[in-house]
Amino acid sequence: MSNTTSTHPSGGIKFIGELGAALRAQQPLFVGLCVMAVLWQVSTYFLPRIIAPPLQEIGVAMWQIFSDYQQFVHLLTTGLRVLVALIVSFIVGSILGIAMGTFDEVSKYAKPLLHFIQGIPALSWVVFAVIWFANVELRIGFILLIVTMPAFALYIDGAVRSVNLDFVHLGQAFRANWTQRFRMITIPAIVPEVMSAWVVNLGAGVRVAMVAELIGSTAGVGFQLLNAQALFDMAGAIAWTLSLVALLSVYLGVIRFVESRLLAWRPKGERQ
Amino acid sequence: MTGPTPILFANVSKTFFKHDGTPFFACRELSFEVKAREIVAIVGETGCGKSTSFNMLLGLQKPDVGDIQVLGLDPFSESDALRGQVGIIFQSDRLLPWRTTIENISFGLEVLNIPLTQRRQTAGKWLERVGLKGFEDAYPHELSGGMRQRVSIARAFAIEPKILYADEAFTALDELTAERIRKDLLELIRETAITTLFITHSVSEAVDIAQRVLVFGRPGCLICEINCEENRAAGKSTHEIEQLIRQGLRAAHKTVSVEGVVTDEVVRAEGSTSKGREPI
Repeated sequence: MSNTTSTHPSGGIKFIGELGAALRAQQPLFVGLCVMAVLWQVSTYFLPRIIAPPLQEIGVAMWQIFSDYQQFVHLLTTGLRVLVALIVSFIVGSILGIAMGTFDEVSKYAKPLLHFIQGIPALSWVVFAVIWFANVELRIGFILLIVTMPAFALYIDGAVRSVNLDFVHLGQAFRANWTQRFRMITIPAIVPEVMSAWVVNLGAGVRVAMVAELIGSTAGVGFQLLNAQALFDMAGAIAWTLSLVALLSVYLGVIRFVESRLLAWRPKGERQ
Repeated sequence: MTGPTPILFANVSKTFFKHDGTPFFACRELSFEVKAREIVAIVGETGCGKSTSFNMLLGLQKPDVGDIQVLGLDPFSESDALRGQVGIIFQSDRLLPWRTTIENISFGLEVLNIPLTQRRQTAGKWLERVGLKGFEDAYPHELSGGMRQRVSIARAFAIEPKILYADEAFTALDELTAERIRKDLLELIRETAITTLFITHSVSEAVDIAQRVLVFGRPGCLICEINCEENRAAGKSTHEIEQLIRQGLRAAHKTVSVEGVVTDEVVRAEGSTSKGREPI
């Protein structure tokens, strides 16, 4: 009997073990990046500086972003905009998704509307927002909300609908009321889909934030990319892009960490 | 024993409709009762309305006609009043995969809003009782099929119910494990003197556990009733009692072979009469 349960090492050792495993899993990425860096550096010997600046120049530009607060604040601004907008979007999307998953009438009317909203290109929303809102933050917040909220709502709607009927019946058979069934069965059951929605929306959110900042803002990474374009500063453009990728990686890391904690009950093979 | 009859079915009928609109009778004028502290088994072949009866008892489905009472209450419309009164063991264990063993056993206690420390204590006691001490923090996927069903049994008993339903509780297990757990469950049932309704398709399992066996036939009707205790008292062996039940099942089967494997129109006719059944 005892060999059917897994042994649980202490917290610290377990964490170090998990970190080591996570780094080992990223090995192909590191190898790929190294190959790309070497190829890039080789190309700088044959291409003009304005097209392919050497790695040292990109490194210096990146150092400036992270060491100079005046520049770093632009990265923070974008990061904060994406984070706040996604949280608001998640709250609104969750309420709508749960209502859709629970009540067919809500789903009947809301689903086509959400699909319609999703069909409108993000760039169109940027143009609409620039015309509709004078306030820059409101403008970017609106764009991020309208682009990411439907995905949250649709993911959660699908998750609520696909909760195992056996578990729902278990709750009903034990005479759990709606709130208890929602807390004890629905919420834990939809966590995997909620985490997937966060991963998908994070990438979409960062991309849309860039476009919104390029057109309608005087702060943020998008705005800095616009400046780099105006000055033909290729090293700066690459440095800002890489900084943004780093920010996205940090966010993804946080999501993966939360996911690993919330889904610790899953068999190892089922975890991502 | 005073108080309402624990389980009462009075002329219960339930009809489902196929995708083309033709009716399918799941239960037809079904009547039976289970008295307090009695252990009753329902046997019957697939499609004889066992699961429909079970779902109606749980309050998951409403009968079209007739009356179902559990402890004098309608399980469909007075569901809340039955909270904590009925323990259930399902065919599949239905353990919530995100809950540890102790949390799964606590499920019914949490529904009853029992404080955390008290429910951990109670769940721990039942965990030990079903022989799984040391597996408190194991998740369902870390347990074998038999262990999972033991957790399911502990979850049913933890709320100290007045009635226990078990729906083909050992079907998913291998014979040896099933026999062992069946023995332990029977011990628990006798120890707690709980009224039990046991649904199974195994005749030997029914005779092994129940004091009375109800033989169901299609469409969801009572073919005959065998009182195991009276038969034993009359000197009949377990084998002879099993033969009696098998005779009932054969009669039910004959009814189906004459009426069931036919067109929809005849299925409709089948529900409206009990002709063609052999007396036991």
